[in-house]
Amino acid sequence: MMGSQPNRLSTTAELTVATPEGVLFRLPLAGPAPRLYAMLLDTAIVLAAVNGLGYLVYWAFAKVPGFGVMTITIAEFAIGFAYGALLEGFWNGQTIGKRLFHLRVIDQSGFPLRIEQAWVRNLMRVIDALPFAYLIGGISVLSSPIMQRFGDRVAGTLVVRETPLAASADEFWSHQKYNSFTEYPSIAMRLRRAATPELASLIQDALRRRNELAPYARREIYREMAAYLQGEVAPFPDELIERLSDEQYLTNAAGMLFGDQR
Amino acid sequence: MILDLERFRAQGRPRWNKLESLLVLLESRPDRRLKPDEAELLQELYAQTATDLNRVTHGALAPELRQYLERLVARAYAELYYAPPTRSELWQPRRWLRIFTAFPEAFRRQSRYFGLAVLITVLGGAFGGLAVRYDPASVDVLLPADYLRNPSLRVHHEEKGQARHLDSGQMEAAFSAQLITHNIEVSLLAAGLGVTFGIGTALLLFENGLLLGAVAVRYTQQGFGLFVTAWLLPHGAFEIPSILIAGQAGFYLARLLLRRREDRNMRQSIREWLLLIAGLAMMLVWAGLVEAFFSQHHAPVLPYGFKIAVGAAELALVTIYLLLIGRKDTGSEEGARVPAES
Repeated sequence: MMGSQPNRLSTTAELTVATPEGVLFRLPLAGPAPRLYAMLLDTAIVLAAVNGLGYLVYWAFAKVPGFGVMTITIAEFAIGFAYGALLEGFWNGQTIGKRLFHLRVIDQSGFPLRIEQAWVRNLMRVIDALPFAYLIGGISVLSSPIMQRFGDRVAGTLVVRETPLAASADEFWSHQKYNSFTEYPSIAMRLRRAATPELASLIQDALRRRNELAPYARREIYREMAAYLQGEVAPFPDELIERLSDEQYLTNAAGMLFGDQR
Repeated sequence: MILDLERFRAQGRPRWNKLESLLVLLESRPDRRLKPDEAELLQELYAQTATDLNRVTHGALAPELRQYLERLVARAYAELYYAPPTRSELWQPRRWLRIFTAFPEAFRRQSRYFGLAVLITVLGGAFGGLAVRYDPASVDVLLPADYLRNPSLRVHHEEKGQARHLDSGQMEAAFSAQLITHNIEVSLLAAGLGVTFGIGTALLLFENGLLLGAVAVRYTQQGFGLFVTAWLLPHGAFEIPSILIAGQAGFYLARLLLRRREDRNMRQSIREWLLLIAGLAMMLVWAGLVEAFFSQHHAPVLPYGFKIAVGAAELALVTIYLLLIGRKDTGSEEGARVPAES
């Protein structure tokens, strides 16, 4: 049966969770780049907050500047840790930066993270930020199969991507009036059997991005893909092929793969 | 199994939408507690959607539909199986006072890691002290700062109050904040370096001991033993135990990470680590205040005997606190609580 591999469909890292009911689902993990952007944004927010507070304290402690400095120093230090820990703890794993970049921190078994975990992973920034610019944390993320920095490893958390997804819309190849591949049911069946999920989504993407591709690139890509399908997967008879453009060939193939298959 | 995707989508969409809106409702609720009827509905929709996901996974090439259902199932799974914690006692505002007893309890439970931290610090101290005592050339290497190398000058300055500025109360306040944040940061480093299997923690403790031993011997050699004790003890009584507890937390973490994944009780262990950090941070706040406001005043103002007496009293308090507080609890409440969580 086709498409029965439980794991990888895309090339990005993901975590597969098996529920007690025997359902497998995958969580897409966040790579270092969006996490870095989210962190930079959060840092900017913290700096702005501390500076704003600084003016307030400066004004309130005008008579005793030494105590003003004391307040600011301690507040800056505390906010640096507490911002991430409290927001992630109470806001279901998101800071403002993470929310904007569609990231969320969760427990590594797929559950919402607990408040202690939020504290641990934020306190551990002291290590991950070493020696500068989160170098250690970055190396840790890249060397971990589930993209954990040291703080995540200790706290047992990970960061997932949360792109909002709508249930997929109907595509044009599902509504072809006539698909000439249906004339050759046995070859069409072979195509359906042999196509891997990767190959199928490759065809789908190529067709969907039709208008984003430059004409010559589109011709070239479609020609290569059609030639591959024809040569390696499911050879339809020549008299049919001669009548079809490469694009039509792929549309027909997509129709067979994704369309009404009764 | 090959399905008719069109019909499948059309049939599934109502329940998927229903599940999605239920999830949005639940996720916006901070305590995440389910009402009985919601729980029932969630369970039912979750089961149906999980079945749909299984069918798509095994029976159709619909990567996006599959992804959509996966996210839906993941979210429902989290809501359904995640027992909202009793908000982890530690961070509930009204339970914060419990840190004061929970910290010494954690300290005693993990005392062997504290012992290791003490051992390494003492080794460092002995090494530093002996080096300064028997190899004068090592002084330049071990004590790079001039004030550490030439105690007489420093003592003279300190006693004359020349190191102090006009409005010293203000300076002391600012200074104390720097000390507090710096010390907490170093302690976090020591505790976090447990991820290097404790090697980083050990190096940090050794270096700390080395410096302490070298300074103590250098000052004593030159006849300022009393001064240096009076200078360091009042805040050292809290500061040195704190860095040792940071080392303890570091070794505890290292031991935890060396265990096989299945043998770890992460939940319990993380709490323990956090308790140690929270406790040592409190101690360092006190140490920073004492260092800035008290330790820097010397003989004519504050007699050395008095400073040492204060330091000794603090040390006794810390010892009693760490060894005795919460001990009554260990018999009854603690005994009942710990096994329940593990």
